[in-house]
Amino acid sequence: MSIVADQSQNNDSGVLGPTEQGRRKFMLAAGWGVVGATLAGSTFAAYKYLFPPILYEPPTVFKIGHVTEYGLGVDERWKLKGRFWVVRNMRGIYNMISICRHLGCTPNWFPDQKRFRCPCHGSIYDVHGNVRGGPAPRTLWRGQITKDPVDGALVVNTVIRLDPNPAQTPQGLWVKEKVKEVNPFWLEHAPPAGGSCSSNRLLC
Amino acid sequence: MENKAVREIFPRDAKKSYGLVELMKGASPIVRKEPEDTVYTWPNLIMIELICALLVTAALILLVQFEHAPLRSLADPSTTPNPMRAPWYFLGLQEILVYFDPWYAGVVLPGMIIVGLMIFPYVDTNPKGVGYYTYSERKFAVFNYSFGFALWWITIVIGTYLRGLDWQWYWPWSDKLAHMNPALVTLVPLHIVFVNLLHVSKDVAKGFCDIIFLGYFAVGMLIPYFFMRKFYDSMGAGRYITFMIFFLSMMGVGLKIILRLLFNIKYIVVTPWINV
Amino acid sequence: MLEKMKEKVVQTQLFKSVFRHGYPDNELNQAYVVFSNIFLHIHPVKVRRSALRMRYTFCLGGITLFLFIMLAVTGIWLMFYYTPYTGLAYKNIKDIQFVIFGGNLMRDLHRFAAHGMVLFVWLHMTRVFLTGAYKAPREFNWVVGVVLLVNTLILSWTGYLLPWDQLAYWAVTVGTKMASYTPFIGQNGPWGAQLGVNPTNDLMFMMIGGTVVGQNALIRFYVLHCVVLPLVVTVFLAVHFWRIRKDGFSGPL
Repeated sequence: MSIVADQSQNNDSGVLGPTEQGRRKFMLAAGWGVVGATLAGSTFAAYKYLFPPILYEPPTVFKIGHVTEYGLGVDERWKLKGRFWVVRNMRGIYNMISICRHLGCTPNWFPDQKRFRCPCHGSIYDVHGNVRGGPAPRTLWRGQITKDPVDGALVVNTVIRLDPNPAQTPQGLWVKEKVKEVNPFWLEHAPPAGGSCSSNRLLC
Repeated sequence: MENKAVREIFPRDAKKSYGLVELMKGASPIVRKEPEDTVYTWPNLIMIELICALLVTAALILLVQFEHAPLRSLADPSTTPNPMRAPWYFLGLQEILVYFDPWYAGVVLPGMIIVGLMIFPYVDTNPKGVGYYTYSERKFAVFNYSFGFALWWITIVIGTYLRGLDWQWYWPWSDKLAHMNPALVTLVPLHIVFVNLLHVSKDVAKGFCDIIFLGYFAVGMLIPYFFMRKFYDSMGAGRYITFMIFFLSMMGVGLKIILRLLFNIKYIVVTPWINV
Repeated sequence: MLEKMKEKVVQTQLFKSVFRHGYPDNELNQAYVVFSNIFLHIHPVKVRRSALRMRYTFCLGGITLFLFIMLAVTGIWLMFYYTPYTGLAYKNIKDIQFVIFGGNLMRDLHRFAAHGMVLFVWLHMTRVFLTGAYKAPREFNWVVGVVLLVNTLILSWTGYLLPWDQLAYWAVTVGTKMASYTPFIGQNGPWGAQLGVNPTNDLMFMMIGGTVVGQNALIRFYVLHCVVLPLVVTVFLAVHFWRIRKDGFSGPL
């Protein structure tokens, strides 16, 4: 009996028994499974490899002195070192990161036109950071601005950014100043002595 | 040289035990084929290639005597040169980015151009016009290629000659050194135009815009189906739909550029996620 | 005199061991020279007389290949003096331009050959299109050609980050920022933020190895430009040429 059973499972008989077929199918599936798992694993490893967990990037936190050192309007003194503008209006002080929201170029400030304009694709922003023209899809970022508890100097952090939700405002192009003048992206301060916002009414 | 009789093929006849054989002078590797008007690659083709390579080298060496590779100032994240012009072959892309949001102009549209070029052999069912220059036998295919090509080169010309400081539009006769005042008209989405013109609510106007956008594709799809049945039948449904999506998108890019330049329309369709 | 010297040289064991056939001045050796040489054997031994007509191909594909070879050669020369380090890259280019003998020539040739390659790829594609040479059975070779076109453009783009000048910085800033607008996998793209994509896990971060274009971006683009993409182009070129032979020449028969 045992010999006959052996023959039915043997390759020599030419016909495969049901268990033999099942085992072959299983081995095939297992083989492909291992190949697939290896490919998936190595793809994931390659993907992880391209994301460095440690970065050596330029500083993002700047101590920029006291509010009184800044006059009314846009101040460009930190643009070279920190890539942000400091803007003081009649109610307080905030900063805007000088990265165009379109494709990341550095816009220029034109005091006579009261506009920021990007040289790459022609985006135009006003002093609130709202889009006034060109292809920019969002308003300029505002960075975090706080007071140092020790000496009262202003500290700007350009990584923590205010980016109003476009769902609240049409396409995020125009965001009311009230929405943006919130802590920690804005500091209330009395206007400078004799300061007047008649040159740019958006500063009022 | 070109003798019709020589080029005749001698078919094998199964009924006959013999075939026509001709003894020819020379050692030809082409056996069991009809006589051909061929020449040896060495030296005929090799010499042409060599001459081409030498001419190109000479032209390049001559060119670099007069024109040098530009090198700008050291990379500086705080200042962007004004205007920032990409190399000529990317100027078309830079110009398109003015008219569309970056997810479309920078990612989807280039992807569509690449895929559209790739699928062209598979949707072009016209068997004519292989191996020679012809326009009359494949007008539509040549028109499509030329249209895309022209769009690309027109945007390159605009980027090179008509864009100046702050990426504003400068005519060749305007002062290239003076900053232009930004246009007094602001760009508006199309539905705002409808709101102002027809005094309807924003949502109704947005509905209009969606209908116009979808209608453009729907009408574009249907016109050849009903009025140019031959064109549709020659392609079959699958090819036709694939081709028309790319074709209408290409035409749409041209239309949007015109709408932007003439009527200051920023977007046609506005949704919470994407704007076109 | 020259003839006799040639005879002598051709008869030497050295010449025979290298070329395995005599001087190609008779038809047998003209056939040998093509099919016994690895570089020439991409050609058939004989070509149709009509295929030699310049007004059909204008030698555009051949010129493109030649420019690619020229770019590889000049690129290797430039690599001897170039360091992919943000503090040195710009100075190295200045040295190549103003100090090193022949450096300026190599840089100029590399730059203009790159422009030329882009131009000739386009012209070659236009020629192939206008003669209908992409039609069956050559559809796949056209697809390979489009892949080569895209690779040529990416090679140019990765190449101009390397001098680390203003064009380099801003072209790559803009280009990678565009990648951040990719739907689903870019931080700024549609449905990107909704899927939890942020500046440290999106496509742009993967391309430049950081949140701003810096040292990681320079070394990545250097490796892509000098190793990865030329290899990819070489492989696709091999397929491209092989398919020309296998699919048959479209020209007048």
